[in-house]
Amino acid sequence: MSELLTHSETDLRDAAALAVDLAVRSGAKARASVHHEGFAKIAVRNGDVETAERSGSQGLGITVFHEGRQGSASTAGFDRTAIERVVREAMLIAGHVQPDPDADLPPADSLAFSGPAPELYADSPRSPDVLLDAAQAMDRATSEIVASDNRLRAGETVAVATEGLWALATSDGFCRSIQRSNDARWAVMLAQDADGSTSAFCQSQERRVDALLPPALLTRNAADRARQALGARTIPSRRCPVLFDPRTASTLVGELAGALTGRAQYRKMSFLPDPIGRSVAAPHLDLLEDPFEPLGLASGGFDSEGIAGSPRAILRQGVVEGLFLSTFSGRKLGLASTGNADGFYNLRLTSSAASGDWQAMLEMLGTGLVVTEFQGGKTDPASGNWTQAVKGLWVEGGRVVHAVTDVTLASNMPAMLTGIRAVGRDVERQGAIRTGSILIDDMQVGGKA
Amino acid sequence: MNGGDLALARARAVLLGPAGLDDAAISRALGHLAGGGADLADLYFETTSLRTWRLEGGRVTNGGFSMRQGVGARAAHGGHVSFAHSADMREGALQDTVRAVRALARDGDTAAHQQGIALNRQADGHELYPIIDAVAVDDATAWIALLERIDQLARAHDPRIVRIDANVRAQDTTVLVANADGLLAGDVRPMTILAVMVVAETDGRRARGQAGLGRRAGLDGFDAASVETMVAAAVRMALQNLDAIPAPVGEMPVVLGPGYPGVLFHEAVGHGLEGDHHRKHLSAFDGKVGERIAAPGVTVIDDGGIAGRLGSLGIDDEGTAPDRTILVEDGVLTGLMQDRLNAGLMNARSTGNGRRQSYAHLPMPRMTNTFLANGQTDPADIIASIDRGIYATEFDGGQVDIVTGRFNFTTIEAWLVEKGKLVAPVRGATLIGVGHEALRHISMVGNDLAFDTGMATCGKQGQTLSVSVGQPTVRIDRMMVGGQTG
Repeated sequence: MSELLTHSETDLRDAAALAVDLAVRSGAKARASVHHEGFAKIAVRNGDVETAERSGSQGLGITVFHEGRQGSASTAGFDRTAIERVVREAMLIAGHVQPDPDADLPPADSLAFSGPAPELYADSPRSPDVLLDAAQAMDRATSEIVASDNRLRAGETVAVATEGLWALATSDGFCRSIQRSNDARWAVMLAQDADGSTSAFCQSQERRVDALLPPALLTRNAADRARQALGARTIPSRRCPVLFDPRTASTLVGELAGALTGRAQYRKMSFLPDPIGRSVAAPHLDLLEDPFEPLGLASGGFDSEGIAGSPRAILRQGVVEGLFLSTFSGRKLGLASTGNADGFYNLRLTSSAASGDWQAMLEMLGTGLVVTEFQGGKTDPASGNWTQAVKGLWVEGGRVVHAVTDVTLASNMPAMLTGIRAVGRDVERQGAIRTGSILIDDMQVGGKA
Repeated sequence: MNGGDLALARARAVLLGPAGLDDAAISRALGHLAGGGADLADLYFETTSLRTWRLEGGRVTNGGFSMRQGVGARAAHGGHVSFAHSADMREGALQDTVRAVRALARDGDTAAHQQGIALNRQADGHELYPIIDAVAVDDATAWIALLERIDQLARAHDPRIVRIDANVRAQDTTVLVANADGLLAGDVRPMTILAVMVVAETDGRRARGQAGLGRRAGLDGFDAASVETMVAAAVRMALQNLDAIPAPVGEMPVVLGPGYPGVLFHEAVGHGLEGDHHRKHLSAFDGKVGERIAAPGVTVIDDGGIAGRLGSLGIDDEGTAPDRTILVEDGVLTGLMQDRLNAGLMNARSTGNGRRQSYAHLPMPRMTNTFLANGQTDPADIIASIDRGIYATEFDGGQVDIVTGRFNFTTIEAWLVEKGKLVAPVRGATLIGVGHEALRHISMVGNDLAFDTGMATCGKQGQTLSVSVGQPTVRIDRMMVGGQTG
């Protein structure tokens, strides 16, 4: 049983149904969603609890469609008075805005009234006491590492648990709810030598506690990353191949996916305009989407319009086969919803090109830059101009020579996507995205003259 | 007039009244919250309403309204902070929230009650922003007309503008703070942000421009001239960027224009002078108070009391009136920004920088309006002094690594400068540096201090807040520019 939730799935479904009912009685079509989360977090450093937090949150949102116009409103309470207020507000907004023929509920026959709902909840102990034990175990593991290496200092270790409920109802009679859970642990490690200080972290996030990285491994990873970043220095400006480690590679995959959302497409804010059927990436690349992975961090049986996604290829051999569409963005583009009103589900980048583990990827890189962290920068969605400040490693002949900092990387996304030479077998999952390291043939590095 | 009895009356009406709470209930809750011998205990009640109108494709077809409210309860024993919050503010739920904090604090007998805390209301008001109803639905027609006007203005500028999105976000926040020292204070915080984004297209090339205006005011804060200036700025940026050449790469002198580029001082100086980073000895500026860290003539100030600016606060989120904190005076590091927790642990006093994103977040030392003070040089002379370098006037945010002091930000409007003249606009490039090094390389400070247009936000540990940044034109002799051409 949940230790963090204070409302039931029935409560949420009832609130959503009430909101829809009130809107229908005002003459509108409507969709309402209700969420409730319970949250606990403990942060420990050097044996002391720094913060202990426990909270509950909730909200109800309604969108009404009335005479070709729409209005949305939300509230953090779902008592009847609050629900009546937001329905009234949504109707008022619909009374003021211009009509939009694309703003309407999806066709009722496209809704996932039934159908598979992937498991998103795992029953696990999640009380503050359990989290305290977990954070203290990481803190003890950190202390042991720090005791054996005088370059290291302990940062905070944190354990977080969230349980949530979500219900969706529409005036077409759709009413479904789900329960989900999320567990996260992270550790921060500080390192210092004569040249300066640095910090690094390692995080593990799952939907069930027993899938999390064990404390010793998590803190060792943070320590390894912190040590590896010591002695970092800049390199001269040059062009060279670049290897993005799996963590930073997932950011690139996210930017590719972001350019293929319906909203980016119809607003002309995508560096991949009119992409369907077009080759936009190296021909050895596939990008696959799976909404139904059990306990996947981005799994779901239906989106916030009630439409199911499908297992499919977004890219096949570098050619775009699918976009991420809601009903609204789909209509703007003359296409049907793909069930992606809330963004993409679990994504996996794969490659048929020669590949290997991390060591093999370093050898394929030969002489060049490994990127381990983005420190800040921007991708211009309209032009694809890509610029980042990065940290990483300088590699010669497949061997790490020294850590790198104070450098920039610049290119543009279309060129980077077609310039991908290989994807490593060192696959990691960051949220919705699974990818190995990504090797790009040629980029501009900015460093000292 | 705002704050003081006026704001308290409003807070009582919109926060306490509907929840059936009175001063006696708050007094009892605080007594229990502080009962375990807490060094610091407070309650933060908040309600926020938000209204948006959104223009896409020439028409306002979308609007939204949201409201949230709740209470955050905090108790600290030394550096150990226990925190719980609830969207339900009725007395039973408030007691549950306080009990949750006591259980998290593990301070012994969680049933132990102290007597109720005697409350002294803070009567002093302020004139930084008015008490208004910024989200009033009566303004809908006027807001929609203004957004449509923005669309027409942008289209009329140039046929290469192919896409215009504009939106307005009006927000009303009312807060009430009560603490175990007996403070009871309220504040009403209106905020309205108008933003426009345009896409220009020609010969298959596309570029984006953006601009915005933020005010602690309602509809009447947006006069026609300001709106026209905003639209012209977005259009100019998009058209310039259409013809932008790849930025150069390497170390070179950089001139930063007045206004938003002051984010340099927010990132490179400000974050490193927040009390929490010093208490934990994490900041690159740790132990350097009193030392020279910049050239003479460099004075950096955080001032939460500048009328109308988005970082201004009548009281911070712990009930403290904001200070004008001189962070760097004529090149010497002089001050830190503190909230109550960190000030208490560092034997200092709060500077009124205790801020939080909402009742559901813990307060931290945060900046308000942070700026570089005026110098004496004519900005034209600063640009003319550059043999080859970059002149940047708009950035798209920035970041800093507190531990190393390394910062970066990305230009969205910048030019290549050669022989003292602007040669051509350059594509977005990331500029990087280390705070204390960049400060030493400031060689010229202009006399044209300006603030951002009201769009600046600051993120720290997952909490986002409105701030303001500003500076006059400055020259930095050496900075790394991360362009695409060697």
